Amino acid sequence: MSTSPILKIENLHAKVADEDLEILKGVDLSLHEGEIHAIMGPNGSGKSTLAKVLAGHPGYEVTGGTATFKGEEILELEPDERSQAGIFLAFQYPVEIPGVSIANFLRTALQAHLEEGEELDLFDFQDLLLDRMKLLDMDPVFAERPVNDGFSGGEKKRNEILQMACLKPALALMDETDSGLDIDALKIVANGVNKLREENPEMTVLLITHYQRLLNYIKPDHVHVMVDGRIVRSGGPEVALQLEEEGYKDWTETEPAGA
Amino acid sequence: MAETTTIEGVTEAINRAAVEARSHGEPAWLAQRRAHAWSVYESLPLPTTRREEWRYTDLRRVLDLDALHLGSTEAGPDDPSSYPERLRATMNEDHEAAGHLVFIDGAVVHTDIRDDLASLGVILMPLRQAVREHPELVESHLATEAVPPEEGKFAALNAALWSDGVFLYVPRGVRLDNPVRVTRWISEAGAAFFSRTLIVAESTSQVSYVDEILSDDFDTQTLASAAVEVITRDGAQVQYVSLQRMGRGAFYQSKQRTLAGRDSTLDTLNVTLGASVSRVDLNARLMGPGANSDMLGLYFGDDDQHFDHNTSQDHEAPSARSDLLYKGALDGHARAAFRGIIRVHEGAQQTDAYQTNRNLLLSEHARADSLPNLEIEADDVKCSHGSTVGQLDDDHLFYLMSRGLSREKAERLVVVGFLGEVMSRLPLGGVVEKVTRAIAEKLRA
Repeated sequence: MSTSPILKIENLHAKVADEDLEILKGVDLSLHEGEIHAIMGPNGSGKSTLAKVLAGHPGYEVTGGTATFKGEEILELEPDERSQAGIFLAFQYPVEIPGVSIANFLRTALQAHLEEGEELDLFDFQDLLLDRMKLLDMDPVFAERPVNDGFSGGEKKRNEILQMACLKPALALMDETDSGLDIDALKIVANGVNKLREENPEMTVLLITHYQRLLNYIKPDHVHVMVDGRIVRSGGPEVALQLEEEGYKDWTETEPAGA
Repeated sequence: MAETTTIEGVTEAINRAAVEARSHGEPAWLAQRRAHAWSVYESLPLPTTRREEWRYTDLRRVLDLDALHLGSTEAGPDDPSSYPERLRATMNEDHEAAGHLVFIDGAVVHTDIRDDLASLGVILMPLRQAVREHPELVESHLATEAVPPEEGKFAALNAALWSDGVFLYVPRGVRLDNPVRVTRWISEAGAAFFSRTLIVAESTSQVSYVDEILSDDFDTQTLASAAVEVITRDGAQVQYVSLQRMGRGAFYQSKQRTLAGRDSTLDTLNVTLGASVSRVDLNARLMGPGANSDMLGLYFGDDDQHFDHNTSQDHEAPSARSDLLYKGALDGHARAAFRGIIRVHEGAQQTDAYQTNRNLLLSEHARADSLPNLEIEADDVKCSHGSTVGQLDDDHLFYLMSRGLSREKAERLVVVGFLGEVMSRLPLGGVVEKVTRAIAEKLRA
């Protein structure tokens, strides 16, 4: 590649904040603008931790290595600063916020993305929200509901995609977005991501998933296998298919592959 | 040697001589009532934490009665331009009102009531003035039906030493479309103030009443004691709102009782944001069949604030309904206690009574204790009670911050959302905005 990657992770080590438990043991990964990458791996391999560490979850402590986004080191930034820089994490387990409507939440988030002193225009916001909901085939009434409060698994994930559609990140980290979804919900969510990509081909996506089935609906350019805190294999979509047939068993005893 | 017995709570400032001084120039019935209240006060021990309803507030530790002097009752001039800035600011937020009363320290500085309401017989005036001008109404209701001195140490002290207060009387069938606004400003550090509120809503009348108490911070402990009596006759509708926004160093204590007649509606909202220590006792008596009470509470504490809410719902008549919702958020080392009891008396069939207390802890050092209770002596009732203490944890904050919100904005959104449920249940002009602003101010601090 001639251009520099939008996200470059080098020898990243991280542990659980309050414990002596290392989870990431030297991750190397580069994503270029507009690419879709998938990281697959067995439970406990550290793939979700990688997504959380990149977004700045306080429960993890980086013990070594670097991660640059658009050439800037991000590991010292607060989660809100990373969001404002253009990184979005779609959560595996979105949090409930009773009493706060999705619309109010999104308005506050979009306001936070503006420069100091800039005021979000309420009419512009309404237009944007309606436009985004239309793109994702969502009923506008949905935005009046309190964030994730009493939502089904599918509704929570759709809400994540709606937030992503409104915030228009340069980099979307999708942490097991497929977990707990039936096939119809999975299609709806994948369809949403694809529409956002069509609209904005520059958006870079990192999919974290345990199962190959999501990759039937969102086609990755690159697939990486993560085992025990390291990327042990990287390749094209065929890697996912191979994993589907063979499982993770063969990889769990393999030495780290040298890209 | 002369016998020396120390009576708990009798001090250099708070004693029988002070009660007699208060009685000076008052009608005999009132002087007798004060003297009687004082005797009750002397006879009662200061409650200890061994008493169930004082379990979470150790008066010996948080209140220094010996250090208090009695607050001034001298009225300053009624000159709004000389009012403290915060008092003026909050009054400017009060738009439409049926009438106003403004107190600075122990004295009333301003009274007004709309002419058309006065001509319909609505009475809104300082309690002292009402004692002189409407003795027949005041004598029969003051500290008799609702908060008599026998209710407890504070009720007795207040009945003995009250300096002024509010009397609101709404005649039969008269409906006020705008609320009555009472604003009280306390400025004298180290003083004790005792005020009373007496509201009588005759049958089928309607009134909303908003009481707001404010102060700056105090270097020495300052006591604001309130006794509130709300009497709602058959078919009347009353909303009583209390906003407590005192500064640190204040000890706020309010003893409230509401009496709801047949088919009446008597809703209350207690908002507790200020003071270092706040203790609110609210007893709702549902005395007539078909009476209905929504009892709402909202509190938000930080630093070392200590809030204690003690509520009871007495269902004395059949087919009445009461629904209590108290919600609070606590930051820093703040502590809140809620103790609530639903008592369904014998014969109060077809009672609907609910009680919910929810707490949100924003800091690992904050603490909330919740004790809901039921006592049911009827068999055909619908009752429920529940309480929760939840934590705003790292996952909550991370979720909101990952969308670009700063830590402060994230906390604010969660707190306003959490407390908003209470406000949505009592939409009263100006109050929702005022409280939302006050919460936001506190979140910024």
